[in-house]
Amino acid sequence: MINRRNFLVKSASALAITFVVPSLLSSKAHAKKPLAQKVTDKQSWGIHVDAGKCVEGCTACVDACNEENGLTGFGRPETDSQWIRKVTVKNKTTDKITTMPMMCQHCENPPCCDVCPTGASFKRVDGIVMVNQHTCIGCRYCMMACPFKARSFVHETLTQQNTNAPRGKGCVESCNLCVNRIDHGSETTACEDACNKAGHSAITFGDLKNPTSKVRIAIDSNSPRRLRNDLNLQQKVFYSNI
Amino acid sequence: MKHLKISFLIFILSVGIQNVSSHDGSPHVTPGKSKADSQEACVEPTELMRKEHYMFLLHQRDETVIDGVRTKKHSFANCIDCHVSYDEQGKAIPINAEGQFCQECHVKTATNITCFSCHAAEPRFPQHSGMTSKMNSNDINELVKHINNDK
Repeated sequence: MINRRNFLVKSASALAITFVVPSLLSSKAHAKKPLAQKVTDKQSWGIHVDAGKCVEGCTACVDACNEENGLTGFGRPETDSQWIRKVTVKNKTTDKITTMPMMCQHCENPPCCDVCPTGASFKRVDGIVMVNQHTCIGCRYCMMACPFKARSFVHETLTQQNTNAPRGKGCVESCNLCVNRIDHGSETTACEDACNKAGHSAITFGDLKNPTSKVRIAIDSNSPRRLRNDLNLQQKVFYSNI
Repeated sequence: MKHLKISFLIFILSVGIQNVSSHDGSPHVTPGKSKADSQEACVEPTELMRKEHYMFLLHQRDETVIDGVRTKKHSFANCIDCHVSYDEQGKAIPINAEGQFCQECHVKTATNITCFSCHAAEPRFPQHSGMTSKMNSNDINELVKHINNDK
């Protein structure tokens, strides 16, 4: 039997459980930017890749990226879009073989933006380098300018795109650090999730400006390097154990 | 305990309903109809939307792409989510298909829609886009069943 007192106590508990517990559990989510607010330079997104943990033959990150962004191939590897790819390199002196994921390096001084004639290739204030496909004319200068071959051009008419990742023929595209997810409060990218799920944890994403973020901890404890540091592009993707 | 659980469920449901967004991956399925069919008004007055909807979209697209603003009100994805119709099997019909919401008017006014060469014409999300955990109707049914069994 339930009496008035019990009912009130239980209702109040239910209220508390409903509003207080979720807010405690998702305290990180509440720290996220409100959807109506513009992004700011208080955050700077970046990735740390521990090549020592990256496993040759594993394509979990590539597959996850393809699924997240609806990248479907046409059986033409030369021209099919790839936002992230696996690269295997060999040190000629030591013969050490390293495999690692390669994607847009989100340069602080991005050459793709320097050469873009329409301003479609741009750097968001929070450091994400991306293509505004509304203004991209498909000239592909950025593809030539990128030292990391990070960009792809869509050659074919596309159908069945994902709602979160609009993309179409005649535009250049590349990794945008899962910008839609990030803007909605996610703290991981699809590739990072997949790498963790595969048990390798080679990819760490996060806010480079936050000294306690997981990516900063990974960078501070691994003393990684940037690829082609001689170009002074100040990339936000760091590699360890190459 | 059962009452506590039921109160909890009621609150969860009421909060859940307020949180429904265009990006949660769960379509508002009404076979044979769109969600908009059951709404009294669009996000702006109907007359304004008929004539000026592209201006809202144009404004929002730059704010979204360049500044990361992700509000739902003038979001393209939200338009699709609300105006897309579902067939009798509950499957979304592409909104640019013949006779569908966008296409019908644009044919009549002889205006090309270029949106759908890049944007999805029906709500489509990757399988794992559960970045904000939301209960779907199956989860809720399971929960109700569980509570009813829990004497």
